[in-house]
Parts: sequence; structure tokens; C-alpha cells
Amino acid sequence: MLVPGLSLAAALRAHPEWQGQPIAIMTGSGPRAEVLAVSPEALEHGVRLGQTAVHARAACAELLLAPNDPALERAAREALRDAALSTSPRVETAPPETGAYVAEAALFVDARGVEALFRSETGFASALADRARRLGLPAVVAVAGSRGVARIAARLAWQRNEGLCVIAPGEDAAFLAPLPLDLVNPSDALADGLGRFGLHRVGDLLRLPEKALTTRFGERIRPLLALARGTQQAPPPPVPENTRFEEATDLEFAAAQIEPLLFVLRSLLERLAERLACRGFAWGDLVLELGLEDGSRDVRRVGMAAPHLDLRVSLRLLDLALQAQPPRAPVERVTVHTTGTEVRGDQLDFFRPSGPPPAALSRTLAELGALCGEGRVGAPAVADDHRPEAYAVRDFVTEQKPHKGPPQQTTVTTTPRSLAIRALRPPVPAQVRAPHGTPETVFSALARGDVVRCAGPWRTTGHWWNEEERYAYDHFDVQTSDGWVIRLRRDWIGRHWAIDGVYD
Amino acid sequence: MRPGPETAPSPAGDPRLQALLRDLGDQVRPGGGPRFTTPPLATGIPSLDQLLGGGLPAGRLSEVGGPASSGRTSLGLSLLARTTLRGEFAAWVDWADAFDPASAEAAGVDLGRVLWIRPDGIETALRCADQVLRAGGFALVGLDLAKANEATPRIPASTWPRLRKHAAATGAAVVALTASTLLGSAADLGLEFGTAQPRFGEGPDWLEGLDTRVALVRNRAGRGSGQAPVSFRTIRAA
Repeated sequence: MLVPGLSLAAALRAHPEWQGQPIAIMTGSGPRAEVLAVSPEALEHGVRLGQTAVHARAACAELLLAPNDPALERAAREALRDAALSTSPRVETAPPETGAYVAEAALFVDARGVEALFRSETGFASALADRARRLGLPAVVAVAGSRGVARIAARLAWQRNEGLCVIAPGEDAAFLAPLPLDLVNPSDALADGLGRFGLHRVGDLLRLPEKALTTRFGERIRPLLALARGTQQAPPPPVPENTRFEEATDLEFAAAQIEPLLFVLRSLLERLAERLACRGFAWGDLVLELGLEDGSRDVRRVGMAAPHLDLRVSLRLLDLALQAQPPRAPVERVTVHTTGTEVRGDQLDFFRPSGPPPAALSRTLAELGALCGEGRVGAPAVADDHRPEAYAVRDFVTEQKPHKGPPQQTTVTTTPRSLAIRALRPPVPAQVRAPHGTPETVFSALARGDVVRCAGPWRTTGHWWNEEERYAYDHFDVQTSDGWVIRLRRDWIGRHWAIDGVYD
Repeated sequence: MRPGPETAPSPAGDPRLQALLRDLGDQVRPGGGPRFTTPPLATGIPSLDQLLGGGLPAGRLSEVGGPASSGRTSLGLSLLARTTLRGEFAAWVDWADAFDPASAEAAGVDLGRVLWIRPDGIETALRCADQVLRAGGFALVGLDLAKANEATPRIPASTWPRLRKHAAATGAAVVALTASTLLGSAADLGLEFGTAQPRFGEGPDWLEGLDTRVALVRNRAGRGSGQAPVSFRTIRAA
């Protein structure tokens, strides 16, 4: 699987509006930057690799010059790998080439047994090319008996403007024989030497004995021979599953407002969505990294209540995260990464209700978080703390445990009807008269009057080892003459009384 | 003589249709599509469920009012427990910021199935309720508007019809806890708790629970009045 000019393909993947225009990818943005890759339209105008920006512009006045973005290139490489991994678990990145093929990116994909899925090797190759195209990469796919032959076949298919090349089993040598030696990419010195001996085709090389060739050209001829004979037949090793997906871009002009940033984010998320869909994953937690103009970085994590497939939800969540806390300086670079998670169906259990739809829930949680503030939306939890006012808030997730059979109704009906207490946050200060240790009258903003009945005290102490956090309370359950039933507490450290709960 | 307007022959008189209807018997019902009704949300208090004809109506607004220490919150937690133990999800919009997780857990609430929202203001609280209802998937949406030591909030009249519309669309039971009547005629069902009598144990003096009465003050769907005795017990007594 081969993409001949990865830097150009990566730029066009990020800017599809550039398709059909004369474009040159430059090594940098300064006047001394050289042309690294050119589009066919630019090539027609006479723009060549290695030219400076001035020379290239002189050849083509409408030429669009774009500096090479390593982040885009890396993401494109990963996207190509995603397309490959969507068809086979054994994928290997081809070593980088030199010379005329330095700009190409290639992957070797194990094609054994694919007939069961794609009916034929041609079907497999076209599926692979189609998936890469959907990810914005114009890949050429060749199927052959060895890696080297497959790579050469892919180069040839590209030169002939064909998307696919499938070599029948055992036909590798016959396929290679009439091809020019340039396709095997010998070094310049070796190509000169072979030319002087009148060897111009791969078949010429294969006809000669190996010993004679090594005597004349040395050990450097061996890799070329191995390639031509198709000896690299070991399948690529299985790839450990990588579920991290990242897209990044450098902004041409630093964005100080959220709106232009969202425009960029949408484009990044669209590309991520394509890659996730290709691998059959749903959106997991998002991490947004912003490179700021002042040199610092702003990293935010946006949690997902449940995996979902809706791009708009992810964009809305990032929008809310940015609105809640805008970046402190203009943004120069944006990176978004997410963890691909298994797609969850809405209906999880035959006997239980499915709960909130994952996409709607994620969006709702983010909007509620923006409305209420951090730490004020989630699932309540009992804190690991003896203080009566302690509580915890966890992430609200709707993942359900596997459940066998219908829910047991009996457990519901036998639950005792428990008297609830309403927490007062913060506790309401009270003036309490307690001449004999137990409250007799209470005066506060809530309850005021004589104590009708009183139970307690129950003493709670803790954190005595920490001067600032230690506490010692005596709690009383008190009924006052004005009808309140309250939980009154005497703070032995602060030396005051307060109501920290109301029975209701 | 001018011909009259052409009319299609009525199929009702077709003897073949009559014979078919006779054969099918009960399997044929009047048209209009199947009618699915969500069962009411049982409170878990037998006397109250009997008064309500099964529980609080799903897809409707209910108001639970009463003075402080009357048992409104205990009823709210009982509803949460019933909902979550059935495997459903509930949201608790806690404007009063009075939800106590330990108390809820003791009442049998599966806390992992509760979305606890603590808005700052009443307007935010209502917006939160709106958002949760629109998301769907919650069987119960509780609104705690009974803030201690604070006057009854002013709520725009358009709020309740909107919430009712969303509740009806998603089938969620919306229950508002209030200190004094707030929803009035906007509520489909109104419960009013009377002043409770706390029970203190003898011997080692402790609060055992509350005894109270709940009055059904409004019910759009059925019987409009009645009372039920209700008791709640503290964790220690239970």
C-alpha cells in the first residue's frame, strides 16, 4: 500500500479545497526553502523538486506554496495505517526510501486469507484503496508474493495512473523481468555500473549468476537481487492494537478568538471521525492540546459519559470546554487526540431499560457542566470520610453490568422507608443554650424555640493529626417547638453550634 | 336525470368482510394504532401507592409540598430508590443543595444511577431540568426547590408547560419538592405533607423516625382528594 508523495497528500487531506490547484510543499517558510513535493498541476507548469520558492513562483505565478507540516504528515501516516489495520491485523511500516522515492510512504499488509472476506485479492486491494481514499489519501495498492515486488508493482501502477496491481501467485519473476531497473531504486553509483554492463531491466539482472554479480559490484548488489527475486516473504508481525487517534495542525495565523478555532477543530474532528469509523471505533475521551503564542501549552481533557458516534457532540463538548475557559493567549497549534472505544448499542439488556442515549448524554453532561460549574454535575457517592458533611461526586456513566434474567422485584419492595436528612451546605450557625450539656433552646435562621425532644450526643472526631483539618463534633437530633427536626452539632474545636442537617 | 356523485361502495356491508371479522373475533380492534401507556412510578409506600392508584404518573409533573421536617425528601429518596433498583436512571436537580448521598444510600438508592446536578440559581436549575428531560432516558427527574431559609422562588409561567411537554415526550416522571405550592394548576398531581410527629425511642434516646400524613390535593388523571398515613424510620432504627 503506497502513497507516492505523502507530504502533498497530507496537505491535501487537511485542505481538500486545494485539490486541482498547482501546489508546492516547501521544506520551510523562509525564502531559502526548497520544493519538497509538487502537485501534477504544478509539475505541468514546470515546477520541479529542489527549486527555491522564487524559482518555483517564476515557473508558475499561481503556485500555492505551503510549508511542510510534520504533524499533518504524521497524522496522514497514521491514517494510512488505520486503513490497513481495518483489513488485516498484520501491518508493517515499510522502511523509508532514498533518492527519487524519498517522499513515498508505504505499508506492507498481510493479504493471506483475505479471500474469505473480500472474495479475491483484487477485491481486497480495491477495498484497501477505497478505505485510504475515504481517509483522504490517494493510495496505490499492489498484491504480490513478496514485499519488495509489491512495492515495485505499486510504483509501477502509480506511474501508469492505475490504482491497483495484482500479481498472480508465482508470477513475480515474470512480472519483474521486463521492468526497468530504476524501479528497484539502485543507488546512483550502482545504476551507473549496471548501465555500463548493459543491464537495464530486472530480467537482465536475474539471468546472471549471483557470484558473478557480487564479484563485480560487491555486497551492495545483494539487497537488489533479494528484492528482484522476491525473497522477503515472511509475513509482517501482528500489530499490538493501538486505539489512540491523533490529529494536529499548525495555524497559519494565531487564533485569538474561539470561533476560528472551532473552524479548525471541526476539520480535525472530521478527520478523526473518518479514522474512527474506518477502524470501527466510537469517540472516547478527548484531549485538546493548544500550543499558545507565548510558548506555553494549554491541555484540556473532555470526558465522555459514554462512547458515541456523533461528530457534532464531540465538537460541542470542545466548544463548551473552550467557552468555559478560553485560552489565555492566541493559539498557534492545535492537537486533538481521542481513544477509540468499542461502539455501544443503545439497548444493552433485554430485561433492563437502556438509559439515556450515549450521544445525547455526553452533550447534556457537558452543557450541564458549563451551566453549573466544575464538580457540580455527576453521580453522588459516599465519601471515605467520617465527617457528616463529606460527600463525593463521580463521573456519571451509564455502562451497565451484565445482568442475567429479569430484575428481582422483591428487593425493591422490601427496602425500608428511610428517613432522609437534608444537608445544609454550609451549616447554619445557631445560638444554643445548653446549661446541662444538652440543648434546651435553639435560636437560628431556621429553627427557633425550645427543644421539645433531644437525642444524643453522638461524638465524631477525626484528622486529629492535622491541625487545620481536625474536627470534633457532638451531634444531637433535636425537635424544636416550631416544628423542625434538626441535626444540631457542637463543634468542640471551633467552640460554636450549628445546624448541619434537617430531617425531612 | 343527472347522475349523483360517485361514491365508493361501503366495505362494511361486504359479507366476506363480515365473515372475516367473525372468524378473527377479539383479534380485531378499532384502529388508531396501539396505545402504550407507561406504568406509574410506585413510591414504595403501600398506603400512598394505594391512594395514588399505583404511584406518581410517568410523563407528568407532580408537586410534593409541605413544611420542613414533614417527610418530602424521604418520599423523594424512596422514589429514587425504586427507580434505580429497577435498573433505570434518575436525575436529581438539587437547587436546594440538600441531597445527602449517605442518606440516599441508606434509603436504598443505587447512587451510580443518579445524575446529581447542583445548580446555583433557580433559572439554571430549570434549564438543567429542561436539558435532562430533552436528553431522554431518565425515568425520574427530581427537582428540589425547597431551599431552607429562602423565599419561594419566582418561576416564569411558561416553564411548567415546557417541562411537561418534554416529560410527556420522554415518559419521565418529574417530581418537584417545594416548601409551599409553586406549580399549582400546572402540576398534574399534587401531594401535600402535613406537620410530622417525630418518634423518639425510649431508653437510649434516639430519633426513631417520623409519622406524617400525605394529602392528595390535586390529581388530573383520577381521584382528586384523600389522605394516607406515612412513616419513615431513621437508619439507626431500621
